[in-house]
Amino acid sequence: MGKHLFLVWKNLLRNKRRTVLTVFSSAISVFLIGALISVYALMYAQDPPEESAMRLVTRHKVSLTQALPYYYGSRIATVDGVENMVPMNWFGGTYIDQRPENFFARFAVDPDQVFDIYSEYTVAPEQLEAFQRDRQGMAIGKTIAERVGLELGQRITIKGDIYSFDPELTVRAIFEGPDDLQAFFHFKYLEEGLKESVGTEYASQVGVYAIRLRSVEDAPRVAKAIDDMFRNSPEPTKTETEAAFQLGFINQMGNIKLFLLSIAAAIVFTMLMVSANTVAMSVRERTREIGVLKTLGFRRRSVMGLVLGEAVLIALLGGAVGVTITVAVTTAMQDMAVQWFTGFTLPPWGIGMCFAMAVVVGLGSSTVPALIASRTKIVDALRHTG
Amino acid sequence: MIDAAVSLRSIHKEYRRADFLVVALDDITIDIPIGEFFCLMGPSGSGKSTLLHLVAGIDRPTKGQIRVLGDDIGELNESELAGWRSENIGYVFQTFNLIPVLTAWENVELPLLLTSLSKKDRLRRARTALEIVGLADRLEHLPKQLSGGQEQRVAIARALVTDPSIILADEPTGELDAGSADDVLAILSTLNKQHGKTILMVTHDPRAQQYARTSRYLDKGRMTEMPHAVPA
Repeated sequence: MGKHLFLVWKNLLRNKRRTVLTVFSSAISVFLIGALISVYALMYAQDPPEESAMRLVTRHKVSLTQALPYYYGSRIATVDGVENMVPMNWFGGTYIDQRPENFFARFAVDPDQVFDIYSEYTVAPEQLEAFQRDRQGMAIGKTIAERVGLELGQRITIKGDIYSFDPELTVRAIFEGPDDLQAFFHFKYLEEGLKESVGTEYASQVGVYAIRLRSVEDAPRVAKAIDDMFRNSPEPTKTETEAAFQLGFINQMGNIKLFLLSIAAAIVFTMLMVSANTVAMSVRERTREIGVLKTLGFRRRSVMGLVLGEAVLIALLGGAVGVTITVAVTTAMQDMAVQWFTGFTLPPWGIGMCFAMAVVVGLGSSTVPALIASRTKIVDALRHTG
Repeated sequence: MIDAAVSLRSIHKEYRRADFLVVALDDITIDIPIGEFFCLMGPSGSGKSTLLHLVAGIDRPTKGQIRVLGDDIGELNESELAGWRSENIGYVFQTFNLIPVLTAWENVELPLLLTSLSKKDRLRRARTALEIVGLADRLEHLPKQLSGGQEQRVAIARALVTDPSIILADEPTGELDAGSADDVLAILSTLNKQHGKTILMVTHDPRAQQYARTSRYLDKGRMTEMPHAVPA
């Protein structure tokens, strides 16, 4: 086959414009598939930090949008195996404007517990103390602080959207760690603000409880114990590992996997059709040459090899360009350090899948034309015009 | 001991075109000795090219036996025929049929890709073949950069590069002007006389007859007497 490679290459150069366009369309398809794989990897295939395994999350059994009473916290803390817990409320809100680069997660938390629960974050002791002492203090991840240009002592206002309350906060601590793309402020401050704006009914409600375990092995037992504790109460709970909780959060948007798979299938099918049409056209144009090759002594399998080789080479070139574009785009999006794109990258197995898909499409689109070419009778091929 | 390069026995070739049965060859029996320059003449549609196709093993007769260099090619399957053809037959087409994206050198090298020769040996043999046809200075030229006569000479080089015993030429001068046609016929004559190749040429060009040692006439699929004035 090695000897025939130069023939394959020369045939690709026969109609450069068509080859370039085919490679380009293949590259775009591979890029789209690569982007989908990156989204999948971002959502489902990221290894959670080691510390994450030590945490459970308790939420309302019905939905994440349903709140839990504040007093649940003290009862959860009594469960055997629970080392610590912290109530957390997703605040949302707007900082400066709605642009994605100004977005970051903001949680109202118990400042005395939060860094014990999220022990992968490191914060200077004096900054932690300042954050804990100041009721309007805020602790923010270093990555976010640098992106939005916040420094220690700076005052900011978050405009509430879920809550009709606009917290006025002072940056007291900047913490570092994996995925440090969030900010914390005092639960009590939110509680007081809500009491003033909407009354006491909603003030002491908690979105989720983050729980730190004494041991990873305790996770199933502790989760069951917590949920059993509130099973017959008006606000039943659902306790799960942090990783499962995050996955559940994603799945609230719908069956993402099916959605991704559907788009991927449509792209592959389109790519297959485009590629098959191009190969068929190219082979039809060369019917007479195929007759000549067979007259010279080329066997069926050699003719098949030439056609398949051509399609696979185009697919591989498209795959290489497509993967390069995907890596460039995901890297650029990571550099933007937008919250949603952290970890948005094409993993090595994704690169392999892109190339595998390109080869499968190359082979799939050229098998029928290659078979037809190899089986064409020489006399018919030599008579072919056009 | 093989005496005949090509031996045809009672060859019939029929094919169906639309609702009609066309008899392309009717009871053809010929023996062409080894080392012969055999010219088969006849008008268009007389079955000349069909006969050449049968001898090359790129088509099969409806009836009859074909032996080429002692081999009964009717007994070979398609794959065996391909291998047999690459070793024993050089084929020259009327329309040259060079691969347009390959240089003269690469076109001539093409049949050698089916051999176990090294790249160096393939190039050496391709160069020698091109020297024989007088195109050693056109190695890197693409077909579109060559004249019709030069293209046909490259095609002859491609036909002889594997050193086949038999060269089949299908109207080799059909697309050429008189000067180029004479050059091509002279090369075929040299290959016959100096290199001992058996040449079977079909043509309706009366000049070609002068270069051949034996000429026969085919009309409506049957061998007939050579007319006094061969229709061009």
